[in-house]
Amino acid sequence: MIRLNDIEVRFGDFTALRDINIHVEEGQFYTFLGPSGCGKTTTLRTITGFIEPAKGTVIVKGKDITHVPVERRNIGMVFQNYALFPTMSVYENIAFGLRVKKVNKTDIDRRVKEMAQKVDLTEQQLMRKVAELSGGQQQRVAIARALVNNPEIICLDEPLSNLDAKLRVQLREELKEMQSRFGITTVYVTHDQEEALTLSDCIAVFNKGFIEQIGTPNEIYSQSKTEFVCNFIGDINRLKEDFIRQIAQKTGRGLDPAKATYVRLERIHVNDGARPNAASFEARVAGREYFGLYIKYQLEVGSQTLKCIVKNDGASYFQVNDKVTVAIDPDDLMVY
Amino acid sequence: MQAKLPLKVRLKRMTPRQMALFGVLACVFIWFIMACMVLPILNLLKTVFFEGGTLSLDSFQKLFKSPRAMKALTNSFILAPTLSITVGFVGISLVLITEYFDIKGSAILRLGYMTTLIYGGVTLVSGYKFIYSDNGVLTNLMSSVFPNMDKTWFTGYWAVLFVMTFSCTSNHMIFLRNAMRAVDFQTVEAARNMGASQWTILRRVVLPVLLPSLFAVTILTFITGLCAMSAPLLVGGKEFQTINPMIQQFAEMTTTSAKSLAATLSLILGLATMILLAILTAIERRGHYMSVSKVKTKIVKQKINNPVVNVLVHIYAWALFVIYVIPVVLIVLFSFSDSAHIQQRQLDFSTFSLRNYGELLSKTTAYRPFLVSIIYSALAAVIVGALVIVACRYIQKRRNSLSATALEYSLMIPWLLPSTMIALSLLLAFNQPRWYMFNKPLIATLQLLLIGYVIIKLPFTMRMTKAAFFSLDNALEDASKNLGASGLYTFRRVIFPVLLPTVMAIAALNFNGLLTDYDLSVFLHHPANPTLGVKIKSLTEEMGNSSDGVALTFVYAVLMMIISAIVLYLVYGRGGKDNIKE
Repeated sequence: MIRLNDIEVRFGDFTALRDINIHVEEGQFYTFLGPSGCGKTTTLRTITGFIEPAKGTVIVKGKDITHVPVERRNIGMVFQNYALFPTMSVYENIAFGLRVKKVNKTDIDRRVKEMAQKVDLTEQQLMRKVAELSGGQQQRVAIARALVNNPEIICLDEPLSNLDAKLRVQLREELKEMQSRFGITTVYVTHDQEEALTLSDCIAVFNKGFIEQIGTPNEIYSQSKTEFVCNFIGDINRLKEDFIRQIAQKTGRGLDPAKATYVRLERIHVNDGARPNAASFEARVAGREYFGLYIKYQLEVGSQTLKCIVKNDGASYFQVNDKVTVAIDPDDLMVY
Repeated sequence: MQAKLPLKVRLKRMTPRQMALFGVLACVFIWFIMACMVLPILNLLKTVFFEGGTLSLDSFQKLFKSPRAMKALTNSFILAPTLSITVGFVGISLVLITEYFDIKGSAILRLGYMTTLIYGGVTLVSGYKFIYSDNGVLTNLMSSVFPNMDKTWFTGYWAVLFVMTFSCTSNHMIFLRNAMRAVDFQTVEAARNMGASQWTILRRVVLPVLLPSLFAVTILTFITGLCAMSAPLLVGGKEFQTINPMIQQFAEMTTTSAKSLAATLSLILGLATMILLAILTAIERRGHYMSVSKVKTKIVKQKINNPVVNVLVHIYAWALFVIYVIPVVLIVLFSFSDSAHIQQRQLDFSTFSLRNYGELLSKTTAYRPFLVSIIYSALAAVIVGALVIVACRYIQKRRNSLSATALEYSLMIPWLLPSTMIALSLLLAFNQPRWYMFNKPLIATLQLLLIGYVIIKLPFTMRMTKAAFFSLDNALEDASKNLGASGLYTFRRVIFPVLLPTVMAIAALNFNGLLTDYDLSVFLHHPANPTLGVKIKSLTEEMGNSSDGVALTFVYAVLMMIISAIVLYLVYGRGGKDNIKE
């Protein structure tokens, strides 16, 4: 559906993107993930046509659109702050693209109302000024405005970043549900790893203008290809050389202590019975944070501090200075 | 951030219609900037430095030899610094009284202090003259108490300083008051918590925050003092004339040498203004103190603890109020009075009628200047607004390009020059046919003043409109294009409607500012169509002789105040609060 081939984008002397190669399949929910300034929005704007790359091609459905102006691409976009036109009503906002295309009035009316219904906007809300709507409603207007033109692709640039935590989770679910209902190819930009993991079929992790890894959420999380990805996604423990040696000794596995070695929090098992392949250690509970659903402990094994989480199942709730047993399976280690 | 395409590529991608529009607009701007601003100013420089056809400094020598001109120069350079001090003192006290200290009746006081916003320039001076001049209301009152007093006391330097001190506090009431409102009250509470006295808090915590704004308004006051026109003209008398009235007198003479003297004086004024504005820009660059607080709290009015000081400050506050309000009240009241009572400066409510207003509406000579000013101001406001919108759109689209920078700086040229210099440059340039003005002399034409008005309003309009353009959310334009709209369609349907309230507000303020303009009109007005400012000035000069004229001045003043108040209400008042920020 979308192919970005060897894209390079420059702003004056600064190279913002280099060697970007991406293939988005039809109907896929594809996410660009990375910290701010990593190039994810620049890549999105290259697809929509706001930025013309210095090198490389943008292919949509086999057609080279690299130099096609924005207004002729028919790629829908939802902006970070929605960019709803403040002087127009909700109805006029949704109808804008159709008016530009000179669609006749009856069709505009029909299509706007149909679309409003699909995104759960009432007829009364259609007549309101956009400023009178809540954040969630504004997001629905922005989506409706993008979708009413029947684009083949919709691009969303951090559309949830301006909302409070609870609304963000709620709209995330709505967004996913809408995408699967419309079946539209979606390119989504976010810096929120949780959002990326829950929504996406495929994720590209960006760092400093490069792509570090492309894969499914599970691949990205469990088989992080680079140290950057494993650090950026989720919380993680970096193991000290001495501790790696001890694991190698206890399990007989050939681990190189000189290499950067990590283990995820949930892969550290606390008082969890015998694990034949794992290395076990006596640990002291040095601190804890209570999250309700789970408890995050800080454990000390000699000079190594380990963070781990334990499900709040009522069976085990450790106090500071309690002695516990931790087990780490060498298969769970991520080595770079 | 967006990668910009080079102009060549952009031109290539334009449709023939877009190309034609671009070409026409480029020609209009280049012609306007060159023919109406750059070439006339170069011509003025030529008048100064090439008086006899060769490069010489004769004009300066003549200037130094002319006692009148030198006296005017000295007077201006005495007035400007002293005015900065007096206006600074009064201005700061107005802000402290209305915004910082807990003074009884501060809402009413604020209204009184803000009268200069609706009533200024030549109208205000005429009001003061009516009260304080040799036959003035107050002078008559005082001479009945002190029969031996000199009834012509209100003339010369002190009179000019007095009038201007109370008429130039508008900037303080707008900018300094805003700065005071932005003070984080928690810093005051923190200082008090650490045991600081009221005086220490004011001196060490509050005033330092106001300092950058105070510097800026002081420099503006200094420039106002240098460029003083109506006050020295009307109350300066023979012994206290400043640069601007002198330029006007020299410009009215027919000899080349007088004209060159006028040009030289205006050049000196221009250079002084430029230096002062350079200082102002440096101050602005250093920036204002931003509050670092995340939870800023509003100032709570401070009650003055010392009872004696409290009483004295109250007396001072209300005395200022009386000075500000009396001219306005008397003008409004006397505008309903008949000629005889105006002549005797006596208020008799039984003689009140709308006769003066009726006369304004029925006599062509009376309403014509009013109409002329309204038409000129409206036309100029619309033209300057349209020019600047187009320019700002170009500057926004081609940000950082050479052509955009050149356009921006060119349109800001008038900011550096006093209006007298602009007027004189137009006058000297277009008193003969010029190829760049299609070989038509513009002297005594209706167009000349319009060009002048448009030019002097360019910088303010540019600064305000550009700020509005740059505060626009770029995503709006992106969204519109993403939905398939062309650049022109996007501008028409998305950008312009968002900017419209600001554009209207700026146009209203420009209209307001031009309505009673005197400084430019006196040079450029059409002889048969004097503007309101020119008319009021000539009527005020006749104050001693014709009371009909005075009555008419009052009617003009009242109508001006009403119009200005409406405009200010629409711009800054309810409903228009977000339109424009000072």
